[in-house]
Amino acid sequence: MKLKKKNVIVRCAADLFLPLACVFGCYVVFHGNTSPGGGFQGGVLIASAILLVYLGHGEGQVKHSFSQRLLHSSETIAEMIYVVIALLGVFTGLNFCFNFVFAGRELETSVLMNDAVGYHVMAGIICLLMMMLSTLDRGGETTEEEEEQPK
Amino acid sequence: MEQFWNEFPILSVITLFLGAFLTSLVGRASEKAGRVVSGIAVTAPLAMMLCLIRPVMLQGQIITYWLGGWEPVEGWAIGICLEVDALSLFFALIVTVAVFVSCFYAFTYMNHDDALSNYYTLFLMLSGSVLGLVLSGDLFNVFVMIEIMTFTAVALTAFRTTYEGALEGAFKYLAVGSLGSTCVLVGIAMTYSQLHTLNLAQIAALVPAFRGNTVLHMAFAFLFVGFGTKAFLFPFHPLAADAHAVAPASISLMISGVLTKCGVYGIIRLIYVLFQNANVVTVSYLVTGFGAVSMFVCVTMAFNQHNFKRLLAFHSISQVGYVITVAGLSSALGLGAGLYHAMNHTIFKGLLFLTAGAVQHQTGSLDLDRLGGLSRRMPKTTALFLIGAASISGLPPFNGFASKWMIYQATFTAGLIHHNLFYLAVCVCALITSVLTLASFIKVTQSVFFGQLPAEYAGVEEVPLSMRAPMWVLAALCLLTGIFPAQIQRFLLTPAVSAVANIPAYVDAAMGEGYAAAHGVPGAEVSALPVGGAWSPLSWLALLFSVTCAVAIVAILGSARDEAHEYISQTQDGAAGAKYDSFFSGEEAVYSQVGGSDLFWGFKHNWKRYFAVMQRWHSGIVNDYTLYGVAAIAFVLLVCTLAL
Repeated sequence: MKLKKKNVIVRCAADLFLPLACVFGCYVVFHGNTSPGGGFQGGVLIASAILLVYLGHGEGQVKHSFSQRLLHSSETIAEMIYVVIALLGVFTGLNFCFNFVFAGRELETSVLMNDAVGYHVMAGIICLLMMMLSTLDRGGETTEEEEEQPK
Repeated sequence: MEQFWNEFPILSVITLFLGAFLTSLVGRASEKAGRVVSGIAVTAPLAMMLCLIRPVMLQGQIITYWLGGWEPVEGWAIGICLEVDALSLFFALIVTVAVFVSCFYAFTYMNHDDALSNYYTLFLMLSGSVLGLVLSGDLFNVFVMIEIMTFTAVALTAFRTTYEGALEGAFKYLAVGSLGSTCVLVGIAMTYSQLHTLNLAQIAALVPAFRGNTVLHMAFAFLFVGFGTKAFLFPFHPLAADAHAVAPASISLMISGVLTKCGVYGIIRLIYVLFQNANVVTVSYLVTGFGAVSMFVCVTMAFNQHNFKRLLAFHSISQVGYVITVAGLSSALGLGAGLYHAMNHTIFKGLLFLTAGAVQHQTGSLDLDRLGGLSRRMPKTTALFLIGAASISGLPPFNGFASKWMIYQATFTAGLIHHNLFYLAVCVCALITSVLTLASFIKVTQSVFFGQLPAEYAGVEEVPLSMRAPMWVLAALCLLTGIFPAQIQRFLLTPAVSAVANIPAYVDAAMGEGYAAAHGVPGAEVSALPVGGAWSPLSWLALLFSVTCAVAIVAILGSARDEAHEYISQTQDGAAGAKYDSFFSGEEAVYSQVGGSDLFWGFKHNWKRYFAVMQRWHSGIVNDYTLYGVAAIAFVLLVCTLAL
């Protein structure tokens, strides 16, 4: 049976969980230094947003909402942020990756590095998922976008 | 003592990785910017490593660098550490020089390809991981770097996906390379389970108390096989050939000159410093045996190759076999010879791969049976190739001679001192291998550069200067390291060998003064390398000259009764000789070249049983190659657990 249009329940559920996934992912990233989780896990949670968009709105919406070029650049920028934070130690006469604690506050270099890792993982995983989705053989299933094209 | 060069090891690794990220960012916008970034990223580490020669090589300092300042507390090293002694720096110099040359060569060599920013990103990551591996003072980071190295190398092998077999070669490399990485990981886990530390220096300090521990013997077996995979030792050698034949030449240089050296570095660090069992007879036999088999099997395999780079790949493993063979002798002379040959191998094999790349770049072919006569169209490349071929064949005054001479001396001395026929047999095997190498390079020279120029290559031009310049750098190094062996020994080899022998200094540099003495680490046994292989380049030059003259005279006198004329006279008698029909019946001359594969047919005919076995072994099926790997693990495990 051909699925003409995405089911309304699926669409609503996707819309509902999309912000939750993003917020929870950000939470895990930002609290990586004090709680289980961290950049890697949180980054993957945020990246799962693209799957929700795909399930709810189809591939056309994914291509419309996400710029692969920008994400790819973000990935490398995140890597460089990490290295620059790590290099701060060398430039101040201490060791590479040195963990500064800024005047007793909770802001340490490890927090910043964690955020950079989260950013990097998010961009990288979304890029990967976009590549995977574009190679999917949807086997006759049509999305809204393709349906509308003939008009 | 805090010195500014203490930061150099970490900065050089980070420069390469940062360069990789930057290249992928700016390289897509402008190709030129990508080249500038990668050029800077490969030059800076080279400069930094050269700066380290004075403190590390000459003053004997050992640089330790704790990331994040997490130094050992109460005798336990938990933090990540970079530890640079003379051995690490020796290999780091090899790596940075090879990376530098490869990168500048690729600027012009890769100009027919697209997606170049990906190429430079992967290339710089490969370089950074290899440099990180040799500078690391931490066993787990060695594994991390091995993984980055393997995956980037696999991706770069398959970079030119349009080549037939590119994906296949890369897949084989991936499958068997992962087997090797897994072996290293298992070995690390076993070591950790017994010693509860991953720091190289601390492992070296704790191992003497664990003599006879079977788990550590198994860990040694796994680590040895893992590093052996990275060095493509027998029985992993078919992979190298499949990967080299399809990789771009600048990457072939990296795989043969740099990646195999990581395996060599790992094995030397393993048997001399970490497990300190190089002087155990079983380990010595094991290492020397694997090295000797690799060098002999690969050189005979090279005889049958019809692809320029496949042939070079087999020779590459054969030369690495030399290095491993003498490294297993557990003598200062042997280790010095091995290190010297490791360095020379990177130089001359790099040069040969780059000339092969130049031929491929200009003609589009690597087929030894189709190429020919290129010395007329590419005279400068031919000269460079001949320098490389003379070096690898061990002809004076080039560097291959100096190091091979030390290798013969080391194996022969070991045989005499220990009254051991095995080492003497290895010495003979090394000599035969060298002769076969020379024969095999005569075949390549004849097939590619001499002989008849095929009509399709009549318009081939010399490669541009931007590609020749990196090759000339390597050619000059071939000559310099061959003419000044005493200086090489003073500045590079003796410090490296002393550093390997002086384990307490390596331990104390990382763990604090007195740690080694408290844990009963055996003291320095050998302080300096006995100057071996003393020879006068001028007298050997005279010998070379006289031999060349003799060969020339024989060739000129012998040409009076040329075999070609006999063929023609046969033809005129009415015998079937289609080659020379044109002179009799006036037909158009056909292209006929004396193929390189015909040169040594007599040798191959006599060895046809051996080659039939080899043909069955080199099936090209990845399952078989993986099984050989598993068999190697089983064999080494058996030897190590039963006989250690």
